[in-house]
Amino acid sequence: MDALTITNLTKKFGDKTVLDKLNLSVPKHSIFGFVGKNGAGKTTTMKTVLGLLKPDEGRITVAGERVVYGQTKTNRHIGYLPDVPEFYSYMTPYEYLAFCGKISEIPAKDLKSRCCGLLELVGLKNEKHRIKGFSRGMKQRLGIAQALLNRPKLLICDEPTSALDPVGRKEILDILLLAKEQTTILFSTHILSDVERICTDAAFLDKGTIVLQGSVSGMRNLNSSKKYVLELADRKDTEKIMQAFTGLTLNQNHELVFREESGLLFSILHFIAEQKIPVQKLEHMEIPLEDLFLEVTKP
Amino acid sequence: MKTLLAVLKKEWMETVRSGKLTVLVILSVLFGIMNPAIAKLTPWMMELLSESLSENGLSVGNITVDALTSWTQFFKNIPLLLVVFVLIYSSIFTKEYQSGTLIPILTKGLPRYKIVLAKFILVFSLWTLCYWLCFLVTYGYNAFYWDNRTVSCLFSAALYWWLFGAGITSVMVFFSAFSSGSTGVLLGTGGYVTAAYTAGLLPHIKEYSPVMLTNSLQLLTASAKPDGCMKAVLVTVLLGTFSVAASVPLFNRKQL
Ligand SMILES: Nc1ncnc2c1ncn2[C@@H]1O[C@H](COP(=O)(O)OP(=O)(O)OP(=O)(O)O)[C@@H](O)[C@H]1O
Ligand SMILES: [Mg+2]
Repeated sequence: MDALTITNLTKKFGDKTVLDKLNLSVPKHSIFGFVGKNGAGKTTTMKTVLGLLKPDEGRITVAGERVVYGQTKTNRHIGYLPDVPEFYSYMTPYEYLAFCGKISEIPAKDLKSRCCGLLELVGLKNEKHRIKGFSRGMKQRLGIAQALLNRPKLLICDEPTSALDPVGRKEILDILLLAKEQTTILFSTHILSDVERICTDAAFLDKGTIVLQGSVSGMRNLNSSKKYVLELADRKDTEKIMQAFTGLTLNQNHELVFREESGLLFSILHFIAEQKIPVQKLEHMEIPLEDLFLEVTKP
Repeated sequence: MKTLLAVLKKEWMETVRSGKLTVLVILSVLFGIMNPAIAKLTPWMMELLSESLSENGLSVGNITVDALTSWTQFFKNIPLLLVVFVLIYSSIFTKEYQSGTLIPILTKGLPRYKIVLAKFILVFSLWTLCYWLCFLVTYGYNAFYWDNRTVSCLFSAALYWWLFGAGITSVMVFFSAFSSGSTGVLLGTGGYVTAAYTAGLLPHIKEYSPVMLTNSLQLLTASAKPDGCMKAVLVTVLLGTFSVAASVPLFNRKQL
């Protein structure tokens, strides 16, 4: 059973369709990267999963239980870190966590140790000041702590790293990796290197639908993502090949770049063998997820 | 029940740490002192003014002040305390909508009605606290200077006015449950008061209007009987209960 399943989710704001028959399933114990441009509808999707927004159509289940808008029952399986987390500024981090613990009905005897443990995990253990003066990064950490408090089956983080400096980003990603031991993580982002760094699965969101979904390693091996670079000893030969085949491009180093489509690689190699063209280099290039993303979300 | 208590504690912490409680307590005590003080000072002020008044051909007779003067001041000034109270607490929901502080709480599975209930209990108790604090201060001074027994039906009059205010706190919660800004809450609450006043002017519906509860002077001077307000009491209690009960489904439906 998946931790989260979304089927045919449609959401409109006025006459603007933000999500259009979106389908998504997040396998258990995965770190799931939810990638989309600004305004693609990532936050909208997450808020609908949390029952904070009313879907126009579709069905969402969390840990096998159906989400009903306004009724927050399924939320007891979920920990949520909002995109711009805001907490009660007049409390200290410990007081805030303890308050959250009480409303999640964590037994009083476990509460203290759990709060302290989480504050230690996110590095806010010695912070005795009120939340009022916290920086974005500190709020983000407290946000992760409160999201993990009720040991959720599903942790939803909305762009946890986008406002942070490189060090802060790495720290947050490390915390997420630690959290993976206990839970399934769905996090949205537009930073693809973060996805490559920690995600096991990913989905690309564009124009309200998922355009590509699967495991990160699978995406890397996608046929359409295989690219070859061919360098020849002689520039003249390069031109000869360019004329003989279609679908090749020339890069700055005068190398030929092409995709493996309908046996193009073998045709070219055949051509080279026949004409006895000296080859300098032939390389299989793994294209970064970023290029794949740009490709599948092309307007 | 435990979760409700936790939310209540949080609301209380907010009221204390943001300084709202201090402001309200100081204001209530000040208002309470002001009523007998104004009554005490009236003859003296009149004397000061009498010279200029007599130049204009007006003569000032001997003015006697007693507990009634002071209680008249009380019921004249208490609307101001209520206005200040509503202004301070009109943002009790909307501030949370705007800053998004409710989202982490609600996404922990806390039933929404507990938030409505906790906030209502808080404003209701604070209104009760402020009102009776103000009342007690005035009562103490009046007992010291004059005699509270000379005014009739003091407690019924005070209880009715308190109920009118309590009705307004529940109406405020009602409008807060769905309007996104505090302007909406103020307009809605203002609308309720206006409607009540308008109803209070119409001959047949008059006695049902909550505004009847604020006719305190007639009770104090014994020109009206407390039983005359029973219909208004009933309407106010029903409206108040309905407002709080209706805010729950409204708040459940609110997109945050
Ligand atoms: N409450 C709302 N009313 C009207 N339109 C909205 C509302 N919330 C979001 N939208 C619209 O829905 C679209 C998707 O917004 P959403 O916040 O889900 O995007 P996102 O993918 O989270 O973007 P970002 O990367 O900037 O966070 C946007 O075009 C936005 O204008
Ligand atoms: Mg967003």
